[in-house]
Formats: sequence, structure tokens, C-alpha cells
Amino acid sequence: MADWEIWTVIVVLGVATACCRSALWMVGHRVTIPRRVQEMLRYAPACALAAIVAPDFLLGPQGEIELAVTNPKLLAGILALAYYLWRRNMLQTIVIGMLVFTALRVFDVFHGVG
Amino acid sequence: MSRARMERGSDVDGHDPAAWREGFQVGLPTLFGLGAWGIVVGVAMVKSGLTVLQASAMTLIVYSGSAQLASLPLIATGAPIGVIFATAFVVNLRFVIFSALLAPHFSQLPLLQRFYLGHISGDLTTALFLQRYPRTAPERGKLSFLKGLLYPSWVAWQVGTFIGIFLGSAVPTEWQLGFAGMLAILCILVPLVMNSAALCGVLVAAAVSVLAHGLPYKLGLLVAVLVGMVTAIAIEETQDRRKVRHG
Repeated sequence: MADWEIWTVIVVLGVATACCRSALWMVGHRVTIPRRVQEMLRYAPACALAAIVAPDFLLGPQGEIELAVTNPKLLAGILALAYYLWRRNMLQTIVIGMLVFTALRVFDVFHGVG
Repeated sequence: MSRARMERGSDVDGHDPAAWREGFQVGLPTLFGLGAWGIVVGVAMVKSGLTVLQASAMTLIVYSGSAQLASLPLIATGAPIGVIFATAFVVNLRFVIFSALLAPHFSQLPLLQRFYLGHISGDLTTALFLQRYPRTAPERGKLSFLKGLLYPSWVAWQVGTFIGIFLGSAVPTEWQLGFAGMLAILCILVPLVMNSAALCGVLVAAAVSVLAHGLPYKLGLLVAVLVGMVTAIAIEETQDRRKVRHG
């Protein structure tokens, strides 16, 4: 991406955030969101975040699907997820996930795959 | 009417040091976590190719960890700006619900103040505020309590992020520290999966985004979100209907 495009993205992200956070504060303090809409809004962020991380964990460098445990990102991701479900500590989870991923990468455990 | 309201407003919304301190103390335990989370996002920003200046501007303007992280892989692969906007918007949709809960407490404030209070209120601060003040009626100390929550959180986040930005730019690229951002998203995703319908939606969205990865302009991402959301709602409705039949 060119420099000006990144700057545009930054402004656009600011607008997207402000729309979600401030719009109701500014105009709609008498508005109540219908229950059906609330339910839909509740599921949207989880689906979006899943859709963002899944390709990073599951796709190889050439965009091929790598479902095996020999995929270092997938293995590190699974272990990190298990640790987070157990301890619910974000920082420790990230440190452990990075350590596993880095160890697999540096020692080239799955030679020729990652 | 408006004059009476303004007078009442200025009385109710005057600075209340005790309430401010109370807000600060309630939020204090979360500040370390916010700072740490900021470090991760700061590192991820510079590791995915933003300059120090761009990363700094992003964190000051956007102030939304999940939206910032979500945009990074899209920036790295050169996705169209419209897709990046849509993605950040969807990731932030939960704030619409939060602001619907919080905004009625402060409808008497001036427009500009409502704008920036809305802009800096996050997940944790909203939850902590609503625990303390469940009722929306104006009350003395309410605004100071909110500020005692919001301002230190903002500072903790920005300090963490700037540490991350400078830490990240000192670390070689082959360490692939950007992966830490993906792990962080995984951690914020878990509490959002609050029921089996959400779990199905998340799994479907993940599968679709992988399969539709090759679509141009990163449109696979938006298709995945849509299909995932529809799946979650369909499952929830089926469960509700079954409950009605058996209840």
C-alpha cells in the first residue's frame, strides 16, 4: 500500500470507530435498538474476528490450506487457545503462543513445511 | 425548559473529586491489562509494515485495539479501503450496543463532550460504569466517576501502545511478532463466543473465510462474516422455537 493509502485507511478506521461508539451518544439517546437487531449485532464482531484470524492460522505461504499439525501457526494457535480457555490470561497466552511458534520456526521442526 | 435543564445539568455534572477517585480505583485493576494489550497492538502495527509515525497516528485516532488489529492483515495484503472500513465497522458493532446502554445517562451534556466521551468508552469501562450506576437518571458524581474510569484507561492504552511501537521497531522482522496480534484476536474472540449459536457462527465464518480466501478485494472476509452471522441467528431461532415447543 502506498503511504497516502495507509493514511486514508487510518482516517477511515477512525470514522468507522466513531460511527459505532459516538453516533448514539450524539443523536440517539432516545432510541432503543430492537431486540432482533441487538441479537444480530452481538454475533457480528465474533464472526468478523474469526474470519480475520482463520486464514492466518490455516493457510500456508502460497495460500494453500494446511490443516495438519505440521503447520506451525496452527499448532501454536491451538495451544494458545487451549491455554487461554484454561487460564483466561491474555498476556500469558500471547507469550506462550509466540514461544511455541518461534521454537517451531527457529528449530525448523517441520522441515520444509513452514 | 432548556434553561432549567442547563442549570440542573451544570449542577449535576460539576467536578466531583471523590467520584473521580472512586472511578479511578474501580478501573485501576484493569489498567495493567489494557497497557499490556496496547503493547501487543503497538508491536503488531509496526511489524505489519506501518511506520512509527503511522502507527502512532493510528492509535491516537482510532483507539480501538480490535479494529486496529483487524485492519493490519488487510493493509498488508492491499485490500480496498471500502473493505477495510466495512471490516472495522463490523468488528466495532458491539460498541453500538454499549453506547445504547451508556448514552442515556449523559444525554444532557453538550454535543462535543458526548462525542469524545463516546469515542473513548470501551468494553471494560462501560461494564464497570453500569455496575456502579444501573439507573439512567442524572446523579451527582456520575460524570466524574465515568471520567475517572475513561481517562486513566485512555492513558494506560496509549502508553502501552507507544511502548509496543518502539519495542516492535527494535526487533528484527524475522521474529514475526505480528503473529502476536493474531493470538490477541484469538483471546478477544473467546469471550464473544457466549453460546452454541455464536460458536457455530464463528466456525462457519472461519471456514468460509478460508475457502473464499481467493476472492478478489478480500471480499471473502465480508462473505464469511455475513454467512457466519446468518448461521448464528438461524441456530438461535431454531433453539428458541424448540424451547417454546417444550417449555
